[in-house]
This record gives sequence, structure tokens and C-alpha cells, in this order.
Amino acid sequence: MASRVALKVGGKGKKSGKGGRGGEGKSRTECLKEWTDWSLHKAKVIAHYGFIPLIIVIGMNSDPKPQLYQLLSPV
Amino acid sequence: MAGFPPPGATILGDDAAEKKIDEVGKKKVDYFNLPCPIPFEELQREAIMSLKPELFEGMRFDFTKGLNPKFSLSHSVFMGPMELPSQGAETLKIPTAHYEFGANFIDPKLMLIGRVLTDGRLTARVKCDLTDDLSLKANAQLSNEPNMSHGMINFDYKGKDYRTQLQLGDGSLFGASYIQSITPHLSLGGEVFWAGQHLKSGVGYAARYENDKMVKLACAMHVPFASLLWVATGQVASTGMIAMSYVQKVSEKVSLATDFMYNYLSRDVTASVGYDYILRQARLRGKLDSNGCASAFLEERLNMGLNFVLSAEIDHKKSDYKFGFGLTVG
Repeated sequence: MASRVALKVGGKGKKSGKGGRGGEGKSRTECLKEWTDWSLHKAKVIAHYGFIPLIIVIGMNSDPKPQLYQLLSPV
Repeated sequence: MAGFPPPGATILGDDAAEKKIDEVGKKKVDYFNLPCPIPFEELQREAIMSLKPELFEGMRFDFTKGLNPKFSLSHSVFMGPMELPSQGAETLKIPTAHYEFGANFIDPKLMLIGRVLTDGRLTARVKCDLTDDLSLKANAQLSNEPNMSHGMINFDYKGKDYRTQLQLGDGSLFGASYIQSITPHLSLGGEVFWAGQHLKSGVGYAARYENDKMVKLACAMHVPFASLLWVATGQVASTGMIAMSYVQKVSEKVSLATDFMYNYLSRDVTASVGYDYILRQARLRGKLDSNGCASAFLEERLNMGLNFVLSAEIDHKKSDYKFGFGLTVG
């Protein structure tokens, strides 16, 4: 923490805007950015693995309902 | 033509004859009732359909199995050379093979199409009609490799005689387009886009003119016959690209198309001429390019649900020859 305080004092001389936030640890915008990155990454993984199963589930539940063996058999 | 009543009209009576004379005579343009224009991205669709078929090289086998009128699964096998970008003049090709599994759900209100390859790459397309006029389209290509995934989402609003579209993509891509019908045959549109990642932004304009010819047989029961005779489009974008195309429907089965692309920033010109024969059992498309490329694409219907596909392309400048054949079932 001492090093951060020293940075803040030194920073204020150069850039007043960023120096003020440096003392709080992770700033709010950085938190928000990390959270959006994490959620986008999770959404991408879910879409990647779940999109085709989603289409299959929606299709199997539509009218007229197809049978399960029709999914695998080539006829 | 306007003065003489059509033969046989006296059988129907005077009112019907008067109406027919009005219709056969000049039609007044109702500027408050113009038709809805084609979506901005499909402006050159006749030219693209005729001049840019999906040429491929190698062997392709597609099997589509319908479980439902709305739901179907597709299996596709492809074996052929894949082109690698090479620094030198000659093209580098390596043989590849892949299997692609796909699932389609097609409903009037919701369309879901997904395709997945053996290396884990997923291509997804979603189209949803939120209301009668507003529709949402999304497409994405996801892969296991980091930073190789892309996605784009479009919101389309259809007005009485105009269409607007808002586009959002990854890599801070933002675009909007608007197209409006000016007369029953002419529509003008513009688009603006901003790509944050590549720091590019641009403005584009487009115009489309299509000619509709109405021919009425003069008899008691007149049969109107309308055909899209020719379509001319032009597009300019501030990335330096000017594209013009012209498609003429010569007869029911034949249409000819020509395309001209000029990039005024890089002084690149490409012109191409092509034909599209739509026959009863086959569809043949051929194209000749100013880059020294000649290509042809044949789809023949051997039987109900069985299609045979042949694709050929010769690039005389690079001495690159591509030939592909395949079978599509279902």
C-alpha cells in the first residue's frame, strides 16, 4: 500500500485524473471491463457448445413431433 | 390502344370495358403507395446469384435429412485441396478433408441454422421476426482458437416504402443503412459504418432500378403476365469501391448479367460477364472475368431429391485450375 500511496503522490503531479483512482486498488471501470470480458467469454463458450443442442431440442419439440430414432438413422 | 375496347369485352358489359381501357392505358403512379424496396445488403442479389455461384474444388457430398417440415439435419463431407496464402506467384494447396454436421430449424417466425466442423468451428445463424416489421438477425463464427471468433447482430425495420437496418458486430463494428423507394422501379439507399478495431469508417450510397413489364392479353378473362426484365444497380462506398451491375432477363430460362467493380483508391478494376440458364432439370451458370478467370457451375437434378453438382474454374493469369464435383441428397 505504501508504494501505491507514493505512486499516487507522484502521479498527481503528472496526471490528476488517473492519479486519484490509483489509490483505490482496482478502479470501477477496470472492474466493469473485467466483468464484461469474463461474461462475454462465458457466453461464447455457452453458445459454442450449446447452439446445436438448442436447435435439436427446439426441433424435436416442434409439431409433428419426430421420434428419437429418426435423429440417428439415415432413412 | 386506349381508344379501342378489347374484343369480347361487350359480353361483360360497359363498366368492365371502361375499367379495362383504363388499365391498358397509362397507369398513374401513386407516390404514396410505393412498394417496399429490397433490403440494402441484397441490392445486387440478381447479379450475385448469376455471377457468383459457390464454386468449390474437390469432392463434396451433402445429405439433408428432414425429420419435420421445419426441422432437418444435414451431414456434409468434403475432400479437396485448400488454398494457403502464399507470398510467391504460385498458389499453395494442401489436401484437406472435413465433415460438417448441421441442424436447421425453419419456421416462418424463427429460423435457426447451425453448422459445426470436425475441428470445432461453429457457424450459427439466427433470424427472428420480433414483430411484423422488426426482425433480428444474428450470425456468428466461433472457433476454439482464441481471437478467431466473430459475431454480428442486425436489427431490420421495414416501413411502408423504406427499410432501415442497424448492425452491431464484435471488434466494435457499427453500421446503419437506409433504403427508400423513390418510384415503383427506382430505390435509393445509403449506409454508414464504423469499424473500431481496424479504425475504418465509411459511407456508401446505392441505387437500384428494376423494370417490370406488364403484358395483358386482351380477352374476356385477361391474364396478367409480369416479369422482371432487367435490373441495374450501382453502389459507391468511401472505402474507394464503386460497384455496378446489370442483369437482363432475356427469356424465361436465360438471363445475362454483367458486373463492374472499380476501386479508385487502389486503382483496381474488375469486370465480369456471365449467363444463367435455368432449365427444367438443370441450372447452368458461367462467368468470364477481366482477371483472366473463366468459371462454370452446373447443378443437375438427376432424380427427386438427388442433385449432381459440377464446378470448374480456370485462372489463366495464375495458371490455377479448379475442378469440383459433388452430390446433394435431400
